[in-house]
Amino acid sequence: MSDIESAIGKSPPRLEAVEKAAGKAIYTGDMELPGMLHGALLTSPYPHARILSYDASAALALAGVKAVVTAEDITGGYIGLVCKDESALARGKVRYIGEPVAAVAALDEATARLAARLIEVEYEELPSATTVEQAMAEGAPVLHEDFADYAKIYQAPEDAGNLLARAEAVMGRGVDGFDEADIIVEGSYEVGAQYHAYMEPVSALASWGPDGRVTVWSSTQSIFRTQANIHEGLGIPMGKIRCIAPRIGGGFGAKAEVSGQLIAVMLARKAGAPVRLVLSRDEDMITMRARHPGTLRVKTGAKADGTLVAREMEVWLDAGAYADDSPAVMNLVLYYARGCYSIPHVRALGHAVYTNKLRLGAFRGFGNPQASFAAESQLDEIAEKLDIDPIELRIKNAIKAGEQWLGGQRITSCALVESLEKVRDASDWARPRPAPPGRKRALGVAAMTHTSAFLSSGAIVRLQGDGTVILNVGAVDIGQGSDTALSQMCAAALGLDIEQVSFATPDTDSAPYNYGTNASRVTYTVGQAVHQAAMQVRTQLLEHGAAMLECEPDELELRPGGRIGVNAEPARNAEVSFADIAGRSLWAVGGPITGSGSFIPNDPPDPQHTKLTGFLGLDALSVLTFGAQVVEIEIDEVTGAIEVLEAWCAHDVGRAINPGAVESQIQGGFVQGQGYALCEEMLWEDGRLVNPSFMDYKFPGTLDTPDKIHAIILETPEVSHPFSVKGVGEPPLVGAAPAINNAVSAATGLRLKQIPLTPERVLRALLAKG
Amino acid sequence: MELHQPETIEQALALLAGDPGAMPLAGGATLVAMLNAELIEPSALISLAAIKELRTIEMLADGALRLGAMVSHADLAMEARLSGGHNVLRQAAAQIAHPSVRNIGTLGGAVAHGDPSSDLPAALVAVDAVIEMAGPAGKRSIAAGEFFEDYLTTALTEGEMVTAVRLPRLPENTAGHYEKFARVHGDYATLSVALILAMKGGECSYVRVALGSAGATPVRASEAEARLLGSALDGGTVQDAAQLLSEASDPIDDVRGSAEYRLMLVPRLLQRALNAAEACAP
Amino acid sequence: MINITVRINGEERALCVPASRTLLDTLRNNLKLTGSKNACNQGVCGACTVLLDGMPVNACLVLAANVAGREIVTIEGLGEGGTLSPMQQAFVDAGAIQCGFCMSGMIVSATAFLAENPQPSRQEIRAALSGNLCRCSGYVRVIDAVILASERMGA
Repeated sequence: MSDIESAIGKSPPRLEAVEKAAGKAIYTGDMELPGMLHGALLTSPYPHARILSYDASAALALAGVKAVVTAEDITGGYIGLVCKDESALARGKVRYIGEPVAAVAALDEATARLAARLIEVEYEELPSATTVEQAMAEGAPVLHEDFADYAKIYQAPEDAGNLLARAEAVMGRGVDGFDEADIIVEGSYEVGAQYHAYMEPVSALASWGPDGRVTVWSSTQSIFRTQANIHEGLGIPMGKIRCIAPRIGGGFGAKAEVSGQLIAVMLARKAGAPVRLVLSRDEDMITMRARHPGTLRVKTGAKADGTLVAREMEVWLDAGAYADDSPAVMNLVLYYARGCYSIPHVRALGHAVYTNKLRLGAFRGFGNPQASFAAESQLDEIAEKLDIDPIELRIKNAIKAGEQWLGGQRITSCALVESLEKVRDASDWARPRPAPPGRKRALGVAAMTHTSAFLSSGAIVRLQGDGTVILNVGAVDIGQGSDTALSQMCAAALGLDIEQVSFATPDTDSAPYNYGTNASRVTYTVGQAVHQAAMQVRTQLLEHGAAMLECEPDELELRPGGRIGVNAEPARNAEVSFADIAGRSLWAVGGPITGSGSFIPNDPPDPQHTKLTGFLGLDALSVLTFGAQVVEIEIDEVTGAIEVLEAWCAHDVGRAINPGAVESQIQGGFVQGQGYALCEEMLWEDGRLVNPSFMDYKFPGTLDTPDKIHAIILETPEVSHPFSVKGVGEPPLVGAAPAINNAVSAATGLRLKQIPLTPERVLRALLAKG
Repeated sequence: MELHQPETIEQALALLAGDPGAMPLAGGATLVAMLNAELIEPSALISLAAIKELRTIEMLADGALRLGAMVSHADLAMEARLSGGHNVLRQAAAQIAHPSVRNIGTLGGAVAHGDPSSDLPAALVAVDAVIEMAGPAGKRSIAAGEFFEDYLTTALTEGEMVTAVRLPRLPENTAGHYEKFARVHGDYATLSVALILAMKGGECSYVRVALGSAGATPVRASEAEARLLGSALDGGTVQDAAQLLSEASDPIDDVRGSAEYRLMLVPRLLQRALNAAEACAP
Repeated sequence: MINITVRINGEERALCVPASRTLLDTLRNNLKLTGSKNACNQGVCGACTVLLDGMPVNACLVLAANVAGREIVTIEGLGEGGTLSPMQQAFVDAGAIQCGFCMSGMIVSATAFLAENPQPSRQEIRAALSGNLCRCSGYVRVIDAVILASERMGA
């Protein structure tokens, strides 16, 4: 009997949909513990300053205040995923306006906020560098004087100044490859900073128990990264830290690394009571992180017949005040710089620069949106110059299964051509789009790829006394539906109905390690571990079944709903249920039935294929999946406003575990990409965030988005996965901006090179064109 | 902070007079948001919610329409008596923010706040509305064009509150149109044009134009209106009128657009508004 | 501090709140009705939408002390005795819910709208929900859910 049973390919409602619809789902900010206090932050008013002294006496004197913490209460080292340069609270220096400097725990939130304002901090203001230009200028103020001493997992530039990271990838003959080109196009692109705008602001609740352990509930994408950061940042042994994920109100990359948890732990420790810290929206925007803005210089060379021969990309990313994910994001801009094409000669060079503003970090796409906006836009320029249809050009050069990606990893399966054909046909690509007077309409295309496997995950499946199973994976569902999809995979592997699989709340006490919910990795990576664990349970079930039915295990089959019977003898009524087996295992023979799985992709780069310098390890990053999008836009020539009328998004997911959830991810990702393309931009003036509110930072609503976002699900089985799956979280966002930009080009002849494509930018360009 | 809930205008005025730190609370759409953000710290709020006479809409003997200060934006957007040229006010109210804010936001609240990038001030100037106020010195009225003095600054003095807005009868056959351009739906306008127009024999017989988000107060240029009057609204005339309006404007750079872009939009949105109004003018 | 009585989800509740406390704060912290969410606290996102005498309003913009004697319905009050309301069930069945944080406000807005407009077009639904921001769904399935509810309730 096939491993893949009825639970896969169906779209049951999310496991937690009913409680969410009822308004009963519990998010961190909804939780209350006896004696709980409320936290509030004091943040830095300066972009760059030395901290000279603290005076918390006025704050502590306020009735209801129970504790104040500053860097003096930090008992650990520095933290940071790739470069350890951060602390729970500013230490010695502040490096951005909004950096948390101190925190208060009080009986109620209003008192805590008032008290925070009463903490006196003496600063010595320092010259600041709030842009990449300023930070790289001769004599620029240095943000991290001890940068050379920070622990890092990549080779950092020496005598770096404010250069946080520099990396280069060279494939084939690199820039020499341009000598094979008949035409060359070069351009500089600019991308803005996008805020994640998850609906649930950052929240953390910490409670120390009488056993000296701290339990932390928080709005996080990774209970294990939360645990690791608390461990490193506060010097608390991991065994004394328990991190739990309640319901999470969105993350999109912002909540994988530190988000308020360390501060809550410090406050709770000092106050001797649980502390809940919930950021206001403006605090969240000012203190947390956003997508890297930057500039990308791109050059593409092609032969007259449309064969792409060379690509060069140089990117400068503004990393903000702390490293966070920046070196990795920059690496991935380079990783995706070639695009999904068999371009033989590539040089990609990247820089990430410290500046005195909010740290920039992971956000759905992780460097790919930036790279793809530039590269996919330029590809259409090539198409126009060669008078080749943009989709035909992409199909002609499409990379294929078996070829090597930048870095040398082999592509196991590739539905790129199929994706392009699907969106071409579904959109009726060749049909002209007339528009009312004063408006123009056109279609635009973009292709994209993204990885599906990254770092490690484990899974445990246990048979319960009643024959149902409990699945324990430590993977946090941040809204994308992983609890449900993983349960479906587990159910399928054991022939169970989804109701017979319980999904355990992610808890570091009981869950096996999972890196996090990000990088489009959960379905593939955690799915591997789930399958392994389920197979171990299956083996044990069959062994028991064989003993109970007096035959060999290979004569048995799993039957739907949790039963085991003899192959090809349905008439013989002898069957045993999982419950029967559980009883035997617990009370008679064998012991409790548990299965475990553990997985990390291992796909080392090939130094013969690509010369990589300054990169983080790519070994545990793998399984590319491909897709394409076409959008139809209408431009209002009077105002420059762009409306997205319709979108066709073809994405290969290997196999859709829950097609409804896949479709939702595609639609949601596309709309986030639309926001990135058209209206979202965090703006700073001398390091001060100018628009830290939903009033001033706008993302699309119901009247700004198309009603027809066609999610076209392709299923090209991923052979390296028992469930044939690939990821889908990020690709839908990646394609939107270049597809929209290419549609604008088709409609107007403009080649715009900056996003967001605000009406102002578009109108100015239209008028300049004449 | 205290909260008072007077039932008459007189009671409200007495409370305001007794406490210089007190503020009238209309719908709360702006005031409560500012309170939440700790941008204001009133010693007391005088809620106007229980004052019934502030909610009335009445037709006066001379054909004018009086709208009570506490009439909600949602009710304004549905008010059938705002017809003809007064449609501009109805359309403006309908485009404020989104439905749930329109349910609580009020005419008087928007007027008293005096934000030139909100939707009602420009529309009120275009209809030659008269703002009725009451205070310690008694009642008085002032034309909307003079009521809005500066950015978030109105003619209201200490202890005064807006009680109603009176819309004088407009000439026959006027049509009204509110053209709003914003980054996304529900945002404050990057630029808006409030227009009232009447045509007779192919020529403009009546016109009023006021711009929102174009200066510290709604921008009106009588020279622009004079230019349009009597014309066939041909392209050249419209350009001239737009130029005069632009000269009277003083927009700022902000996240919703640069000053320069706003000025670029003036002729464009004026033309759009004229086309729309002309199409519905009888 | 002000003593007030409000009707929340059909029940009279006596409260003592400071004048400055919003209805949202009161629901969440005094009454422990945490279904309505605080996502912006300035009336832009709609995650706090409740019904005030049947009208959708942003609870973050309403002062609790100012709604004494009025009828308030929150997400928790839409269903009956543990059963989801038709709108809530439609959101579940249409697969509209992802992270869920915007959904209380979304469902409350949709409920009030459908009561006034039982056979809406998709565009009318979009206009009604224009003050409910969602970052996960892309909105298409949200509109599907309201259409589904209108079909089921019209039947």
